[in-house]
Amino acid sequence: MRQPYFPLLLLNVSQSDQFLSRTFLSDTSILFHCSQIEAMAGVMQKFILASMIMWVAPMAILYGFNHHIIPGSGQLSSSSQTLLSGFLAVISVNLVIVFYIIMAMKEPANRESQPDPAFLAEAKASINQSATTTSNPDAQSRDKVE
Amino acid sequence: MAGSSSWSRALMQISPYTFASIGIAISIGVSVLGAAWGIYITGSSLIGAAIKAPRITSKNLISVIFCEAVAIYGVIVAIILQTKLESVPDSQIYAPESLRAGYAIFASGIIVGFANLVCGLCVGIIGSSCALSDAQNSTLFVKILVIEIFGSALGLFGVIVGIIMSSQATWPAKTA
Repeated sequence: MRQPYFPLLLLNVSQSDQFLSRTFLSDTSILFHCSQIEAMAGVMQKFILASMIMWVAPMAILYGFNHHIIPGSGQLSSSSQTLLSGFLAVISVNLVIVFYIIMAMKEPANRESQPDPAFLAEAKASINQSATTTSNPDAQSRDKVE
Repeated sequence: MAGSSSWSRALMQISPYTFASIGIAISIGVSVLGAAWGIYITGSSLIGAAIKAPRITSKNLISVIFCEAVAIYGVIVAIILQTKLESVPDSQIYAPESLRAGYAIFASGIIVGFANLVCGLCVGIIGSSCALSDAQNSTLFVKILVIEIFGSALGLFGVIVGIIMSSQATWPAKTA
């Protein structure tokens, strides 16, 4: 999650230009963090919801059978009441698992890690600009050394 | 029958309530041990792999859900077993039917506890490999998920047999 130089690698910035490009660093990392935090919040919400339902559903089924809230549970013998309540509780847990798997597989794969294209174009343009301006002082310094 | 050997006399003098209570404790305690083991193995690999590949977190939480289901199976069976625990009058505590009920609850607890222990461990190790290989190559995820589903079925077998075993734990009737 902490990859501040990832956009610089995307743009193939050379060593000398990284100094100038670091000014874009704070904007890029903020953009990254916003989309990643949103994605993580959605993931955590689904996970917490599935966990809570996974706990509440079998407890509710067992409670309903033991206190005869569910209609028809009063006529069952003790052993068949145990069997039915136990199996229904286990089946409910498995249904929640299947539901969570379906929800998780449906998510789009590469939602995050693509920076805003307009920002990307601007950054590329300014880097190319600074590349042309810095190449002249480099030539001058080489002449001076010689 | 119980007169000659001292070991069998000692075992049969242990109250069936002891066996039943230990069974209930093992069913929830050892299940949660297995679930926790699985979750920390999977969780540490998942967090480490998500440093370079943050996209894996949403799908690989499935492994954590499988391990948590193992803990829930232990809780379900513990609740079922404690509803099966009834009081019998003093004269009936060592009657054969009481002992049978006590042993049935004990066995059910051991079945569920240890099946969930190894199931949680299995799902945890597979889930950790799943996270690491998904980070490298996302086409592998579904194949490893199939293996994980087989691993989670182990705990399910234990729970089914434990529930069936506990359903016929009947104590002698109160009228002595």
